[in-house]
Formats: sequence, structure tokens, C-alpha cells
Amino acid sequence: MTTSETTDPAPRLVVRGLSKRYGSVQALDDVDFELRAGEVMALLGENGAGKSTLVKVLAGLVQPDAGSIEIDGKQASLFPSARSQAAGVAVVHQEYSLVPTMTVGENLLLGQVHTSRVWLPFRLNARAREIIAEVGLEGLDPRTPVERLSVAELQLLEIARLLVRDAQILILDEPTAALADREIERVMDVIRRLTEGGRSVIYVTHRLPEVFQLADRATVFRNGRSQPPARTADLNVDALIGMMLGRELGAMFPDRASAPGEPVLEVDELVAPGLAEPVSFVARAGEIVGLTGQLGSGASATAQAIAGRALNTAGRVTLNGDELRLRSHAAVLRAGVAYCSADRKRDGIFFGRAIRENLSSPWLTSVSQNGWIGARRERERAREIAGRFAIDVERLGSPVGTLSGGNQQKVAVGKWLGTTPSVLVLEEPTRGVDVGARAEIYQRLRDLCNEGLAIVISSSDTAEVRGLCDTIATFYRGRLTSIRPHDQWTEEELRREVMHETAEAA
Amino acid sequence: MERAGLRAEQPEPLAAGGAAAPAGGRAEWVPLAIIYGLLAAGTIFVAAITPNFLSASNFEAILRNTALVGIVAVAMTPITLSGNFVSLGISQSAMAAMLGFIFLIREGWSQPIAVLAVLAGLVVIGIAQGFIVSAGLNPVLTTLAAGAIIFGIAAELTEGRVIRMGENRVGWGNDELLGIPLEVVWFAVVTIVVTLLITKTVIGRHTVLTGANRESAEISGISFRWVTIVAFVIFSVGLTIAGILNAGGFGQGEINSLSTLTIDSIAALLVGGVAIAGGEGSPLRSAGGALLIGVISNVMVLNDFSTGGRLAVQGGVVVIVVILLELLRRRRAVR
Repeated sequence: MTTSETTDPAPRLVVRGLSKRYGSVQALDDVDFELRAGEVMALLGENGAGKSTLVKVLAGLVQPDAGSIEIDGKQASLFPSARSQAAGVAVVHQEYSLVPTMTVGENLLLGQVHTSRVWLPFRLNARAREIIAEVGLEGLDPRTPVERLSVAELQLLEIARLLVRDAQILILDEPTAALADREIERVMDVIRRLTEGGRSVIYVTHRLPEVFQLADRATVFRNGRSQPPARTADLNVDALIGMMLGRELGAMFPDRASAPGEPVLEVDELVAPGLAEPVSFVARAGEIVGLTGQLGSGASATAQAIAGRALNTAGRVTLNGDELRLRSHAAVLRAGVAYCSADRKRDGIFFGRAIRENLSSPWLTSVSQNGWIGARRERERAREIAGRFAIDVERLGSPVGTLSGGNQQKVAVGKWLGTTPSVLVLEEPTRGVDVGARAEIYQRLRDLCNEGLAIVISSSDTAEVRGLCDTIATFYRGRLTSIRPHDQWTEEELRREVMHETAEAA
Repeated sequence: MERAGLRAEQPEPLAAGGAAAPAGGRAEWVPLAIIYGLLAAGTIFVAAITPNFLSASNFEAILRNTALVGIVAVAMTPITLSGNFVSLGISQSAMAAMLGFIFLIREGWSQPIAVLAVLAGLVVIGIAQGFIVSAGLNPVLTTLAAGAIIFGIAAELTEGRVIRMGENRVGWGNDELLGIPLEVVWFAVVTIVVTLLITKTVIGRHTVLTGANRESAEISGISFRWVTIVAFVIFSVGLTIAGILNAGGFGQGEINSLSTLTIDSIAALLVGGVAIAGGEGSPLRSAGGALLIGVISNVMVLNDFSTGGRLAVQGGVVVIVVILLELLRRRRAVR
């Protein structure tokens, strides 16, 4: 492994020859990594490439088997986590660690090392106000309970917690995974501001456009090995994907089908919670319709209403001419509308149960006789689906929780293949999913479409919607603002429409 | 401060391919092996220190004493597996089945009709509870309230007196089948039937999936209401069997006859390693838990422990086994 020799600003963090083994799995294999003062270094790689193990080593949660770590030119030992914190390293994990019922100020300052033991509320809130201003939350009252914050504000507050400790090396693990475009801008602005102050940031993400907007350099991990860091100015998306996969990815998005067929799903003047105006559109057989917008725009509300997941609806939605009973999810499902939510852990998979049981959950009855499970038929069909989705068929007995996020998502989507829905409704189909699995999911969705299914996707990722869908509808503040065939959208236009940068009388 | 550390141990699947991931089969049999291993080890240990323990008659005594608790614990397993925790009205329902049967026999009903009448009554009570729970009421509260209502009505009707079968007394109370006491045979039958239901039928699988993740289950088209009602019906059948067996054995009863059944069956279920939050466990484990508790209390009887001492030790064992199983679960989650 070569380290890029540079005479640029002194490296803040240098990692050499780092290795870590878990049982038979070599998670890190002779890894080198370098971080300069005041830079944003993107850390990329597919799930399982070793990114999270490196993060854990730097956070002092895992002791490496071999290798050296230098901080500001001095040998450092970061295990256990107290040492890592003392050395100025701080991590924001994907899941939030704030206490929802406590206030912003309390979450920020209580229990922190450098704070006084006696806290008077006004002192606490004054100090909190200074810190949250640094992360762009000037307008926020530190006395607000955390449960009232938006997802973006939560993320910024997590970053603010790192600042209290005066950390110089910040590790952000997918900070934007749950955010919509505009909020991502906000988080990125804060990160830029922090690096201007001399702090260094390690930025772990699956969203490649962010790498180019934010990072100075990128280090790509593959199969537990590191590749030399590269300047993002010298790279493009295809080159990055090539480095992550070790091969050329033919194309992220599959080719589109020929002409779509008859209308299958007709949405007529649909009103649901989260929609300010009735929504109408049609999904035809063999067509993928994309609904896109930021959080709360109504795109996701529409998808949920069609799937029978909204509490109250008005208007008509017909499936092959028959009106759907939107009040009941079970009735909608029986009629032939399958649904995958945006949060697979909450309601997409059975975390601790076997992959096979997960896959068969929607169609178990169809491989059964008089209520008795046909074990052989269940196994065969599960293997067939696993094969189509490139899920390891030898592991169907293992809990789905042992799979990577991308593979879990394949299970959450793949389970519907054993049924015969007419319409598949998906929300955020590739959130938190790595590049390789993402391309596979897109390809399978397109295959399903070519078999005559109509697919409705709601997604806040405009690149995904632009690349995958045949017809694209944009949403803003509860209104469907525009619906056009894909070839009448450019990605730039789509982004603008979603952010609503054109004038609008709200 | 350390919260970050705890969080990092979330079962984020690490590293490529996951050759080290445990096979699903293994995850299933490890807790089962623990409970039956403990049972075997405990049996050997106490056999060495306790006179008379290894005699055939003592084994019969253990099985007899365990059988009722075992039947109830096994029959309650689907409720727990489905994520509806446990019933807190066990003693009262079983007592109602017992007194109802005794009363009908005393009144001269024929036995099969009496059995069917008691079964029908309990199933109706079960369906009612299942319906209420599936409508969103807390199962613990619902069953507690149902237990109180049943107890109250029974107390009113019997005025606290002992009810006897009188001259119509059934003859099978102490029967044996191939040398095995009747209640032990039923324990085995109930265990086998519920195990088959859970592992081989659609409703059984739906029960486990609902307990594992109710939201995912509903998205997959599994009806929480149906799963819950079926679980309560299975439970009611188990209670009926336990109540009638007890009635046949004693020929008499009063409202406090089965007062320790609730706590004993819940202990058996938990010691067996059925996850209280649902989605993990099996009827076989509940049966093992009942046997383990049966052996322990038998040993203490043979060694002349006082009632208070027995209860205390029994509680201690429940705590230890539940902690052991929880540690095991965590270790698996971290990997």
C-alpha cells in the first residue's frame, strides 16, 4: 500500500498498517489512512468494506490487531473510547443519541466532561446558545424539548455535541441519510464552516454527489483494504463507483422499457393527511412512476395513502377499474397493491427471524394446504427469489439482521416477488443501501415492470427518480406541482422544482 | 458520554460476506439445549445428594406436579410469542373451568357434555379477551381484569364454599395410560400439538412473525386480530384441559384451589427462555421450563425445605435462568 506523500498542510491523523480480524472475517487488512488539518475527507466503500470498522477503531470502540495511529505527529492509542475522546476524536453515529424528553440545552451539556458540576439553568442555556449558533441553529431556543426538533435539527444538534468537547477530528457517519435535499445543504454548510476553523472531518456516506460538493479528498475502501486518497477534483462519479466496486458498473440505472401498457392504478382527486390539494395521476402496466419531494412535501403521504396506510382519505383510487378501500391496508393488499415503507427496520423486515421466513411472510398461505405450511415449496420459492436478488441462498436460515443494509433491503423488496401484486408502492427504496445493491434493486424493479407490474416510488433522492422512473411527479408543501415523462426533465430542473426555487404563491 | 459506545454495539452487520454469522438453526437450538441441559445436570446433581430422588415413584410425582403448570405454560406460549406478553388471569380461568366442571357433574350432566360446555365457556371468555386485546388494549391489564371478574363471579356463586362432585364423582381421576398418569399424557399431547401448530402451520408462523415485528407483519398482510384471537383460543383450550384434569383428580374445589398457577406458569415460560416481548421461543422450551421448576421444587420437598424457603429458592432460580438467557441473547446480538 502506498501513502500519498505530500508536502501539503501537516497531517492531523495518520494511520498505517491497521488490521482487524473478527473470527474468520478480515475487516481491516493493512489499511492506511490520512487526514489533514482543515479538510473534509470522504470515506467511501460498499457495506462491509471496512469503513465502519475504521470508524470504530478511531472512536476507541475496537482495539486493532496491528498498525499505528499518529495524531499531530505523536503516536496515539485510541482504545478505549475515553482515550479517543481525550485525543480529540468525536463521532456522530447514524442513530441519534439524544434524550427526546430533555431540552436542547440539557442534551448538549449535561454529562459532558468539561462542564461544571453545578448548573444553573440560565448559565446552561446561555452556553448552549453559543454552541448551537456555531452549527447554524441560531434561532433555536435551548429550552425546546428535543422531541420537537426536525430530523435535520437533530443531526445538527448531534454535531453540536461534538463541539462541546472541542474535538478536532470529527467523524460523521452518514449524517444525511435521513435528510431531504435542502436540509442536506444546511448540514453541509455547517461542516464547511467547521473546517474553516481548522477542524478536520471524516465524512462517511453513500451519497456520491455529496462527496463532490463537500469533500476535498476521498479514501475508498474495498474488501477491508484502503486505496490511496484521491483529490475529488480529479474524480467523477463513475471513477468513484469503479474504485468502490473494483470493476466498472455497467450502469447504475437499467434501460427503460418500451411503451407502457394499459392504466392499472388511477388516482383521482386523492386527499390524505399531508396533502394540501387533491392529487391525481395514473400508473400504467410496465411503468415506474416516481413521486419526489422533500420531507413533508406530500410525495410520501401520497404513496402511503395509496397503500392504505393513511388514517383518512378522500377521493378515488381504482385498481384495474375497481375502487380500492383505502381505509384498510389489508384490503388494499388483498386487492393487489404491495407496499414497502421507507423504514425497513420498523416495518419492512423481521430483524431476528430467518431470511426465508422474511421472504415468505406475504405469501406463506399460497404454499400451504389447509393451513399447513408446505415446507418444501416455501424453501424452493424463497431460494428462487434469493437467486434473482443475488442473496446468498445458503444463508436463508440465518436471521435477516446478519445481512448488510443493502441485502436487508433486497429482502424487504424481494418478499413481494412471491406474490402477484398488480402495483408495487415503495418509499425510499434505496435509503442507506450501497452502490452495488442499489443497482441490483433498480434492475429487479425494472424486471418486475417488464413483467407487467406498475410501480410507484416515492423518493427524496432526485438522482434516483430521474435515473429510474418513466414518469415523474414533483411535490411541494402538500401539492403535486408538476408531472411529466422522464425525458422532459433534466436533473437540474428536477432539483429546482423539488426545492421550489422558482417563484410560487404558497 | 458513553452512550456512543453502547450504540456502536448495535448489530450493524460487520464485514464482508459474514462467514462468521450464526446459522439460523443454531440460534434456535442453543437456548433449548441450555434449558434441557440444566434440567439434566440439575437432575444428576440432586440425585447424588437426595435420597429417594431416583425412584420411579418420585419421577412420577415430579411429572404429576409439573403436568398442570406445564399444560398451561405450553398453551400460553402462543400468546407470548405473538407479542401479547402473558395472561395474568390464569388461576382464575383454570379455577372457573374446574369448578364449572365439578358443578355440572354434580348436577348430573353427562361427562362429554360437561366437558364441551366448560370448553365452550372458556373459549368464549378467551375470544372476548383476544378481541379486546387486538383492539389495542394492554393484554396484561385485560387479562388481569378478566381474572378479577371471573374470580368475583365465582366467589359470589359459590359463596366461598367448597364444591364437591358428590356421588356422581368421575372415575378416571387417577387413571393411567400404559403406566403413565393421565395428566402427564395430556401434558405430552398438549406440548406436541402446540409445537406442531407453531412450527408447521400458517397461523403458527404468523404468530411468531407478529411477535417479532407487528408492524412488518401487518404490512405483509398478517392480521394481528386473527393471530391474537387464535392465541387466546389455544390458551383457553389448555386452561380447560388443566381445570378438568384437576377436577377429576380431586373431585372437589373452591375459588382458591389453583391460586399459584398464574405465577408458576409464567415462571415456567420465562425460565424456558420464551422472550417476553414475543417473536422468540417455543412450546418445547416452556415445557422444559416447567419441568426444571418441577424438579427444583421436588428436591426441596424431599430435603424438607419449608414452604417459604421453597418459594424463595424457586424465585432465585427463575432470576438466574432469565439472566443467563438474556446474556446469551446479548452476546448473539453483538456478534
